[in-house]
Amino acid sequence: MNREESSTDLGRIKIHRNVIASITSIAAIQTEGVKSIGKNFSARFHEFLDRKENAGPGAIRVELDKNGDVRVEIPLVIKYGYNIPDVASKVQEHVRASLEKMTSLSIKDINVNVQGMEKA
Amino acid sequence: MRFFNVLGIFFYAGILILIGIGLIVFSLNIVPPDELNNLFVYVQNNLNSRIAVGLSGLLLILVSFSFAQLILGRFQREKTIGVPTSSGELTISLSVIEDLIKHFVVILPEIKEIRPDVIAAKKRIMVNLRVVLKSETNLLDVTNRLQEITKAKIQEVLEGLDLEIILKIHIAKIIGKEDKERRRKESDKDEPSIPFGGYGKFNI
Repeated sequence: MNREESSTDLGRIKIHRNVIASITSIAAIQTEGVKSIGKNFSARFHEFLDRKENAGPGAIRVELDKNGDVRVEIPLVIKYGYNIPDVASKVQEHVRASLEKMTSLSIKDINVNVQGMEKA
Repeated sequence: MRFFNVLGIFFYAGILILIGIGLIVFSLNIVPPDELNNLFVYVQNNLNSRIAVGLSGLLLILVSFSFAQLILGRFQREKTIGVPTSSGELTISLSVIEDLIKHFVVILPEIKEIRPDVIAAKKRIMVNLRVVLKSETNLLDVTNRLQEITKAKIQEVLEGLDLEIILKIHIAKIIGKEDKERRRKESDKDEPSIPFGGYGKFNI
């Protein structure tokens, strides 16, 4: 399932998983202590080919299940000197608040995967 | 788990030994090609032997596949720390801790080079540090300071996670002044001399 769908009196609203990934990416990047979003093989390959428009929001994975629940997995690179559990917790809160505010979706899990640490 | 590891090691060792023996036999011409051909023809013509050979091939693929999965799974499990939180799961790659150690170790001028290796086990992480020191340093003093700083920094970064940190320091080498001078001389030797480079200099 690629899209989250909801119905109104006027018709249906579909939200693509890329939209959810983009909101997640922006919310995560804006959190203090986050250096960047980690990359997977696909993102690195697009970057290698210099096709940044296809690179997408890093390697954020969005899963939508049949009940309408959303599960997000965010790979992160954290700035040197910050407490990892603190930053991860802030990212989870920030992402949840942003997604709920902008999409009104039911967010089940926000999994954070800290992949690296770099100097600010 | 241990049984599978041993089985896998014996399996691969056995296969490699058989390939080696086959190559030696071929190079020494011990078995004539006609006999090999006859053997293959016999296997090909007999249905039972074909089934046996096919099943052996399938078994080899399955054993190889399961062993590869076991190894990869173990690597993946050892290379991250997973902590459940109220909003989801937090996974920390152990390379983060290795990066952290490489970053802060610059504050100790006695250390020339450091190679950290972090392994996670149940509720604890083991940090192995392979260190190259500069000469004229007090080993006990440096290792004590390195232990204290490493432990403090890791605790600071992972504060909130209930993890025991076990540190092991291995001093691999001490680079002395002689080494430095020898390297400098070698680098000087490598530089090509400029012809007539001495002209234009005045000795006063």
